Amino acid sequence: MDARANGRRRAWQRVKSMFQRTQNINLSPIKTIELLASKIPDVISLAQGIPSFDTPEIVKRAAIKALNRGVVAKYSLAYGLYELREAIEQKLAEDGMYYDFEKEIIAIAGSIEGITASLISIIEPEKNEVIIFSPDYTSYSEAIKVAGGKPVFVNLTEPAYSQRDDWKIDFNDLKAKINSRTAAIMFSNPNNPTGAIFTKDDLLKIAELAAGANALLISDEVYKDFLYAEIGKEKMFSLAQIPELRKKVIRIFSFSKAYSMAGWRIGFLHSDEENINEILKVHDSLVTCAPVIAQHAAMAALDFGGEEIIKFVNEFKNRREIMLNYLSELSDFFECQSPLGSYYVFPKIKFKPKHKIVLDVLTQRQIDSPSWQVALDLLYGAKVAVVPGQAFGPAGENHIRLSFGRSRKDIEQGMARIIKYLKQ
Amino acid sequence: MIKIAKKFIRWKLKIFAKAYLSRVKPLVIVIAGTTNRYWIKEAILQSLNNKKLSARGNKKNFNAEIGLPLSILGLQPNNEKSKLTRWIKILGKALAIAVFAKNKTKYLVLEMAIDRPHDMKYLLSIVRPQIVVLTSITLIYPENFSSLDLIAKEYSKLISSLPKTGKAILNADDERIILLKESAASEVITYGINNQKADYLAKDIIKVADGQEFKIQTPEMEIRTLKIKRFGLHHICASLVEQIILEKII
Repeated sequence: MDARANGRRRAWQRVKSMFQRTQNINLSPIKTIELLASKIPDVISLAQGIPSFDTPEIVKRAAIKALNRGVVAKYSLAYGLYELREAIEQKLAEDGMYYDFEKEIIAIAGSIEGITASLISIIEPEKNEVIIFSPDYTSYSEAIKVAGGKPVFVNLTEPAYSQRDDWKIDFNDLKAKINSRTAAIMFSNPNNPTGAIFTKDDLLKIAELAAGANALLISDEVYKDFLYAEIGKEKMFSLAQIPELRKKVIRIFSFSKAYSMAGWRIGFLHSDEENINEILKVHDSLVTCAPVIAQHAAMAALDFGGEEIIKFVNEFKNRREIMLNYLSELSDFFECQSPLGSYYVFPKIKFKPKHKIVLDVLTQRQIDSPSWQVALDLLYGAKVAVVPGQAFGPAGENHIRLSFGRSRKDIEQGMARIIKYLKQ
Repeated sequence: MIKIAKKFIRWKLKIFAKAYLSRVKPLVIVIAGTTNRYWIKEAILQSLNNKKLSARGNKKNFNAEIGLPLSILGLQPNNEKSKLTRWIKILGKALAIAVFAKNKTKYLVLEMAIDRPHDMKYLLSIVRPQIVVLTSITLIYPENFSSLDLIAKEYSKLISSLPKTGKAILNADDERIILLKESAASEVITYGINNQKADYLAKDIIKVADGQEFKIQTPEMEIRTLKIKRFGLHHICASLVEQIILEKII
């Protein structure tokens, strides 16, 4: 029996030794929360980062038409469909970004595929550090590790909630951490989870620092259409608009949020031809091409989806107000600012949860995390799923992320439950 | 029922578009081909507008059986939720434009798209251009066209529809398009990057930080340098066509 047990242990060790590279890669904490939430009857999720809307009818019809035409069963070029890339170039030009659709744009299978392909193509053994901000999108650090790199966090400075302020880049921290090993600086703008929008001056400063270290910039702009304050009346500034930076910037966009097409897995990235030539090789190895039916749908989204985006933005603006009104009733428990972009609120926690919850699926770090404990408290006590701030890096600790991309009903019922539970 | 309604709308729009064209008499420049129509149209419109000439073109992808007459009339579908109300309003506006619109538009720059055989015949029953620009022939609707030669055959109808006083501006780099010279009764002007026989030839193309620099060799063998703030060879082609329009048409 002992011999058999030892044999099994040795076999397990052998298997483990085969997966050295993935040992330190974690599933997204958002998925963990959603998995836990799925087991609770009548739970409301304010955790999911996808819009509550269905894909616009005109986009669905285009996909059905393409399906019936019999043109979706074959691969497209690795770059993507010619017509889609032509449409993307036109759209980019409207936003003051000039890229050649034939050689400088790739249709990707969702933003994370484009991000991962970019990281794999730029990370080298001697240049393997990628700077990401904290808080920022939870999957960046894991994508960097998948690509064989090392995530280096630079904290964003928390706003003074008493004033009209926003999360800002800590340039002293950035200067201290950027060096010759830095392969890239990667960030979402507008920021997920804070909704902050980086100013043109700040973005140019980042570009200047990156140039000094010969590092690339990966600008993830999947929430660029969701702008709410006065700044929203103008189009958002992107480093990809600066011609001199086109060799230094890889810009990512996804149709998931703007056109409610998360399940279609479609987006695009663009950069100078020299960068695209390298990223394309990885993209081709990973996915051959973006899903062709989704590429046809994306074409319709670009051509006819503009009005839908306006509707979405107006509705999200209303939902943001609803959520902030509820949060104002919870001023003893949370403090937050009104987000300028994306569809998340990222309140700071001002209380200690009622119980400490320990679960097998959690790591010790998660068990010890105040934001995890608050998220679990709300999940099991109020039956509302929220994302613990720790998921967004060290500076996200002591916060939770609430999504107002969910339906009004979910927001109203979810927030009412949280208020009732916390004020008990 | 939907099919009947669609046929009715198509027919009405065609009548209104033809009425508008016969009354206003703009010079019609059609850009056809399977790629790069948009940028050529934009380059031409930009030039015409720079010269303060009254010109307009298609909005979005309104370039086929329904979209083309809408573009001729300067219309696009509104946001009405009900399709019936939407089309009743559009037809009302189309009628008003066809009958009452003032004679302002001097140039109509129209993309024309086909996705099945015989589409061209229908589109030509709406509008007969004086100038045709052909861009390229690639297999974009394989379910409807079994070969590139069949697509070329459709475009030959467009070229042969030109009046003797018209002009066919052909991409000399596309072998099928250059063969369409034979269908033309009008003057033919060619442009290209690779074909040294092109009337307007782009050469010495250099990518610079904020665009592309290149030389244009004209039929008079004159060589001049241009710079555009765009990337990609398709913009060079658009620029060549723009030069042809500026020098040979306006």
